[in-house]
Amino acid sequence: MIGNMVDTMDDERDEVIARVVGALSPFPQPRSAAVARVLMAVRARRAQPVSRLRRAIWWAEDTAVSAKAAGLLAAASLAIGFVARGTMTQQATFGGAESASIEMQPVASVSSAVPVAMAFELANAKTVSVVGDFNGWDPAANPMQRVGANGPWSTTLLAKPGRHTYAFLVDGTTLVADPRASKAKNPDFGGDASVLMVRTP
Amino acid sequence: MSPRTNNLLLGAALCAAMVSAHGVGAQEARLLSIRDDATRNRVRIFVEAARLRGTPTEPLVSRALEGIAFKADAKRIEQALAALEKRMRRAKELLAPHATVDELAAAADAIANRVPEKAISDLRRIAPRRTITVEIGVLTELVAKGVKPSVAATMVRDLMAKGATGAQLTELNAAVQQDVALGVTPMEALVLRTRGVMSLLPPAASVNAAQRP
Repeated sequence: MIGNMVDTMDDERDEVIARVVGALSPFPQPRSAAVARVLMAVRARRAQPVSRLRRAIWWAEDTAVSAKAAGLLAAASLAIGFVARGTMTQQATFGGAESASIEMQPVASVSSAVPVAMAFELANAKTVSVVGDFNGWDPAANPMQRVGANGPWSTTLLAKPGRHTYAFLVDGTTLVADPRASKAKNPDFGGDASVLMVRTP
Repeated sequence: MSPRTNNLLLGAALCAAMVSAHGVGAQEARLLSIRDDATRNRVRIFVEAARLRGTPTEPLVSRALEGIAFKADAKRIEQALAALEKRMRRAKELLAPHATVDELAAAADAIANRVPEKAISDLRRIAPRRTITVEIGVLTELVAKGVKPSVAATMVRDLMAKGATGAQLTELNAAVQQDVALGVTPMEALVLRTRGVMSLLPPAASVNAAQRP
């Protein structure tokens, strides 16, 4: 009789487990955009520097960590940091399972940036900067200086060997293609940019 | 060691970990330069999703900021990012098994400029162990300037196979552009200048030896 009761309990437990598995398994794969939203929300909550600093100070004063634990945590932190650095700065690998076959070039074979001198003539401009894919289209990255009172604008920037597109940003608002360079059509955003070919040093 | 020393040691290690992971933070800072909140949010979601899909995000961020520079709206930027990611994934297949981020971006640009896909994989086959960003860029520029894609692909491939360097190809491109500016057709200019570079290259046997790993 006791044996029968145990069997019955086992059956009920199996049934419960089966129901739990059944309830969980039909979950669809999350969409990457949805996962990205969640991660961003988490990141936004974490990025409250004042409260984080206050908590950290409180923790440092009230919590004593043993030397062994501190050493282990420090080693783990450094290991995570360096792994993260390798992953984040190289980024050439398509990390998904479906594209795991691609490999990074050794760092030594990746071309380094070379200096490129730029000049542009526009008498009426108050400010001019060079924006292009070599500086991530950042207006603050390569501001140009006027040579003399009414002379041309010039600067020297760093660009990796290869084909780049760029333009001059005049007075922070107007993009102007380089009149002395080859033009590049911009199929995505319209308008003309210029082409810069940087040769291997 | 005292508890406070232990805590300081741990704090220093955590700081080191944070500093070493600065790449993502820098990218985030670049996205903050997008002033419109809605556009910035859409770009950020796309980039984060692309990261989860394993796509290199640096070219995507750069393209988004290019869109901002060209005053494109959020929808157009998002479409451009989707198109770029698709081209980068195709580029990855064409450049397999090795590719740098710069090569992927260059190949994606080449695809956008209607360079034949086979030409890109041919270049990788000729130089499997070194970066070919310059070679892809020269091919892209020749096609963009009006050289028939199949002719440009053949010329660049043959020059590479015979040992032409990236610098020689860049010079060839510059010479072709000058000829075109003087009124020569792009095709004629390329054929003429290719002959010139070919004449400077070493015999095939020494090229094969030099390209061996």
